[in-house]
Amino acid sequence: MHNQNKISLMAHLVAGYPTQNLALKVADALIEGGASYLEIQLPFSDPSADGPVIQTACAKRLELGYSTQEGVDFIKKIHEKHPETPIFLMSYASLVYTPGIENFVTMFKEVGVKGFIIPDLPFDNDEGMRAACEKEGLTFVPVAAPSMSVDRIEKLLSYDFEFIYAALRAGITGSKTTIEKETLQFLNYFSKSPSKILGGFGIQNAEQAFQLKDFVHSIVAGSVFVKKIIQEYEKNPQDAEDKIVNATREKAKELSHTH
Amino acid sequence: MSDDGFFGRFGGKYVAEILRRPVDELEKAFNEATQNTKFLTELKLLQKNFIGRPTPLYFAENASRENGGAPIYIKMEGLAHTGAHKINNAVGQALLAKKMGKTRIIAETGAGQHGLATAAACAKLNLKCEIYMGEVDIRRQQPNVFAMEMYGAKVIAVKSGSKTLKDAINEAMRDWASNFADTHYLIGSALGPAPFPDIVRFFQSVIGQELEEQIQEQNLKVEALCACVGGGSNAIGFFSSFIEQKEIRLIGAEAGGLGPEPNHNAVRMSGTAAKDGIVHGYKSRFLLTEDGQIAQTRSISAGLDYPGIGPQLAALGSEARIEFTAITDKEALEALAFFAKYEGILFALESAHAGAIALKIAKETPKDKVVIINMSGRGDKDIFISSPVFRPNEWSVFLQSELDRLKEGLDIHDAKSLSSSPSKMES
Ligand SMILES: Cc1ncc(COP(=O)(O)O)c(C=O)c1O
Repeated sequence: MHNQNKISLMAHLVAGYPTQNLALKVADALIEGGASYLEIQLPFSDPSADGPVIQTACAKRLELGYSTQEGVDFIKKIHEKHPETPIFLMSYASLVYTPGIENFVTMFKEVGVKGFIIPDLPFDNDEGMRAACEKEGLTFVPVAAPSMSVDRIEKLLSYDFEFIYAALRAGITGSKTTIEKETLQFLNYFSKSPSKILGGFGIQNAEQAFQLKDFVHSIVAGSVFVKKIIQEYEKNPQDAEDKIVNATREKAKELSHTH
Repeated sequence: MSDDGFFGRFGGKYVAEILRRPVDELEKAFNEATQNTKFLTELKLLQKNFIGRPTPLYFAENASRENGGAPIYIKMEGLAHTGAHKINNAVGQALLAKKMGKTRIIAETGAGQHGLATAAACAKLNLKCEIYMGEVDIRRQQPNVFAMEMYGAKVIAVKSGSKTLKDAINEAMRDWASNFADTHYLIGSALGPAPFPDIVRFFQSVIGQELEEQIQEQNLKVEALCACVGGGSNAIGFFSSFIEQKEIRLIGAEAGGLGPEPNHNAVRMSGTAAKDGIVHGYKSRFLLTEDGQIAQTRSISAGLDYPGIGPQLAALGSEARIEFTAITDKEALEALAFFAKYEGILFALESAHAGAIALKIAKETPKDKVVIINMSGRGDKDIFISSPVFRPNEWSVFLQSELDRLKEGLDIHDAKSLSSSPSKMES
């Protein structure tokens, strides 16, 4: 499987969607397909930075009920099985802030989470999130967007984050990303910085992944997987398992160039 | 004004970085506009000629006599164009957006009043307009949907989440994140990330400024000002001139819904269910589950059916400058009937919450001081909700026969008469 041209892939999945068991198999498939990192989204009732695909998955899961504790259990199982794969938790400020930021961080540290991506906690007004993470030896990953002013990008860089999540188009997850000159220009701002860049939003295919690979530490892909899961599962939940596992594994292979 | 976007511990700018630029640009443009005489003059003219300001401060003489206690006055925001205070903010922000060179306006709406006001302002100012509205609200506020479409707006049904106001806000934020180059998000209440709470208060504060003059003109000694509180735009505008006048009580009426059980109301301030939270880009008091998911709310009035409250009101509430009380659906309906019967004024269901608390307070207040209600809107939009409550049989017969008539394609002159239908009418 080892391949010189392998692209580092952070693969996104929604915790517990479509079911706790099936989502565990998706995690296995993504890792088998070549994902170097997992970004696990804890479903929130009002995911305002997500597009219709991830929004649907979160809503469907929440209809069946999903607690933060179930998210903790979910991640624990994945981490026990794949201790070598770093796990980043993505969610929204409300779920982080409500139980108390330090409690939230500790809860997930204990089951092996390495970092947190919380788009509505701005890096310069983060409610103590970064400090809470660093106290536990974890990392808080700010989200940057191409629409940021140069001043704000400079400010972000001055904070010396270990990782920066670069949202590659001005919008929400899941719409098509064309890798344009502006995107690469935006990524160029970060090339001098020591921060590791996770570049995502809307990556659908190998071609885009390939175009990006020299500009980022890792590409991030999410809705492309979630869409396949929704399609198969909502069509026919009974015999979706194999299809979902195959589709997500093959897509991960394609994006990470693991042939 | 906020202190860099904060009101005490509430407020802030908790937006994804994608939205940071439009929010910062808006802040700059707003700060400039409020110093610009040309902008302010244009706004004044629109307030006078388009909105129909000032709205009267009206002495509800009959209602006061029937109720007993202090005289009750009503600030008649429902007489503003499009039927509610929402137009004050819609016109102001639409004008601001136009100055910023935006050509398209998006907005969320719950009761439909804000969508309606936005659609009217956009028609007036030649801006393209798209309104996000939860599917549940589209159903309960159908007359406003009709009017928005007449004004040339596109009404987009939101089918995610609880299909109400909060989901419409999410959808509008998503749209804005993709389209801010030409689009302004015209938020409808005194909430959301900074600078929205300051902007909305600024445009709504015309209510309080007029009221202060009218109180002087009519030489009134005020015991209390009563407003209903959804997100809080009518309340903060109404209270704005009086926050430092500590001898005047400021009363906020929240939606008590069916009662105090969880998920049966939208009580953020007066009960014990709400917590500090960060939702929709700001920190405030929210109805949340233990984990921090947004809880279901319930109210007969779509405009008060929202799990959060504007940050400035939350701050004023936690300092006890504003007293909050929950008014149930039932109490609101009783107040609605009371003012209709004694004054010939039909309150919006939202505003009827303020009416209900004012009736209680006036009873306990001596006659030499007055209680003033902000009637944030008039009740025409609510006929599909209030009519089935007050006259269920007649309403159902009416709807059924209209449906039959439309199905048969008959003109009203040729249709079967209502009285030939089986259900009996009250005398
Ligand atoms: C007539 C009326 N009053 C009050 C409200 C509640 O909003 P706010 O609390 O922002 O004034 C609405 C909202 O739709 C409304 O239509």
